[in-house]
Amino acid sequence: MFETSAPLSERRQVARDMFVLGFDAPAVAAAAKAGQFVNIGLKPGPLLRRPFSVYRADEGRVEIVLRAVGEGTSRLLSLREGDRVSVLGPLGTGFRFEPAWRSVALVSGGLGLAPMLLAARDARAAGLSVHWVHGARTAWDLGSEWDGEEATWATDDGSRGFHGSAVAAVEEEFGAVLACGPNPMLAAVAERWPDAQVAVETYMGCGTGVCLGCAVPLLAGGYDRACREGPVYRAADVDWPALPSHLSYSAVAMPA
Amino acid sequence: MTSDLGVDLGHLRLRGPVIAASGTFGYGTEVPLLERRALAALVSKGIFLRPRPGTPPPRIVETPSGMLNAIGLQGPGAEALLREYAPLWSAWDFPVLVNINGETVEEYGELAARLDGIPGVGGFEVNISCPNVEQGGMYFGNDPRAAADVTRAVRQRTTLPVWVKLTPNVGDIGEVARAVEDAGADAVCAVNTFLGMSIDLHAFRPRLSFRTGGLSGPAIRPLALQLAHQVARTVQVPVIGIGGIASPEDALEFLVAGCAAVQVGTATFADPQAIARVHDGIAAYLESKSWTTLKELPRYLPRD
Repeated sequence: MFETSAPLSERRQVARDMFVLGFDAPAVAAAAKAGQFVNIGLKPGPLLRRPFSVYRADEGRVEIVLRAVGEGTSRLLSLREGDRVSVLGPLGTGFRFEPAWRSVALVSGGLGLAPMLLAARDARAAGLSVHWVHGARTAWDLGSEWDGEEATWATDDGSRGFHGSAVAAVEEEFGAVLACGPNPMLAAVAERWPDAQVAVETYMGCGTGVCLGCAVPLLAGGYDRACREGPVYRAADVDWPALPSHLSYSAVAMPA
Repeated sequence: MTSDLGVDLGHLRLRGPVIAASGTFGYGTEVPLLERRALAALVSKGIFLRPRPGTPPPRIVETPSGMLNAIGLQGPGAEALLREYAPLWSAWDFPVLVNINGETVEEYGELAARLDGIPGVGGFEVNISCPNVEQGGMYFGNDPRAAADVTRAVRQRTTLPVWVKLTPNVGDIGEVARAVEDAGADAVCAVNTFLGMSIDLHAFRPRLSFRTGGLSGPAIRPLALQLAHQVARTVQVPVIGIGGIASPEDALEFLVAGCAAVQVGTATFADPQAIARVHDGIAAYLESKSWTTLKELPRYLPRD
């Protein structure tokens, strides 16, 4: 874990209202594994840091992908090149990869695409063939970046690819399934693939394991921490009805 | 010249005035980035005799310059604490006090007795101020007689330092402070979180599953400072100031207002190095004044 003052060095749009921001943080970038996250502090800004999956980690730069959903994300999107934030990370326990699986399906919805580029990287490094299935509301919400050989798109309105959810769009059998997206989608993943590894979304305080704010209810009873034991869980281990199905952001739409 | 930042809290000597507040530093095994030389003492996450799962999520919500939490004192219970953490604490160069909780007066005493004499357990912070439990917690801290009963129950079972953490959610904090002092507290900590609430405008219900939570962070600092000052004017035992301290200036305000030491809590969530930053800033301030000890800091403490 590192904490570093990191300048913004990259900003690009990848879907409707969806942006990638890159910060120069070499130590964090070198250590980041798929499914891990960074907790970003803004000054001036809100009191608490904001957690984001690591989207890319190349050449000393840590990238995240986000939409403006509240005060923190809006401030992040108003940063200019060279503006500094505090990057704390990499945090959490990411995805596991086992060569014996031979193939892996990466299943994501909406902003759940966030950990999938690194997941593809780490899966290939483990000798696995990778198939990405990504869904969003419409073609304009999908996200434009994918450097893998195989991908399937799904849209709720049928404007591109499979007409329906990403989960429903998975037809073949794979050695393993990794998923990220809204918690209700992950609950559906748990129904179909109990052994899937899923990266959950929770409210978070410290990101380092001390505040116990990011509690994930477990089917076996009790809670553990999305920031330490998580954010990646075996899908069938999470008590989905007890996990908040969505995070409550600003009630009034935020400008992009 | 290096200033001596040591403080005396009764017969407990600390190497500095900055203590990690309960619930913001786990059991001391997390927060790997902090330079621990700055840590005068650590108060553990609150513990009950038996394991507790804590409250369902959502447990935290950010508010203007602060946050609400309702963790519900999730913890492993006394036996796991003794097995897993106390052996580590006994090797550390600063004391660890255990924040103890109970649903009954007897339970506080029983917990203190179980932990007393265990190597690594440096004392107790008696929590009569947690707003996030159904029984016990803040309800003891609301009533001077109940607060004294809990303090006495702990005092009778240990010779270790006993601090009592007060709630701000009370009519006359001075009266509760005097009651716990009379019952044998070695120091009082002022204050715990303020009871608060936030509404989810999508779901039309409270954002916290527990409905209410404890407010912490800079939002409460002036409120907490006033209460800590009031307590410092009321009791003779040392007062440990708590409430939204995030900078050296914040800590110095509490010290000048009559506190012997301070606790830093929520600030650690935003900045894992907050305690070191506060400690070093106090040292730099003393040096800028050519004071060699913290005792030279003028205090504003008129007695009524």
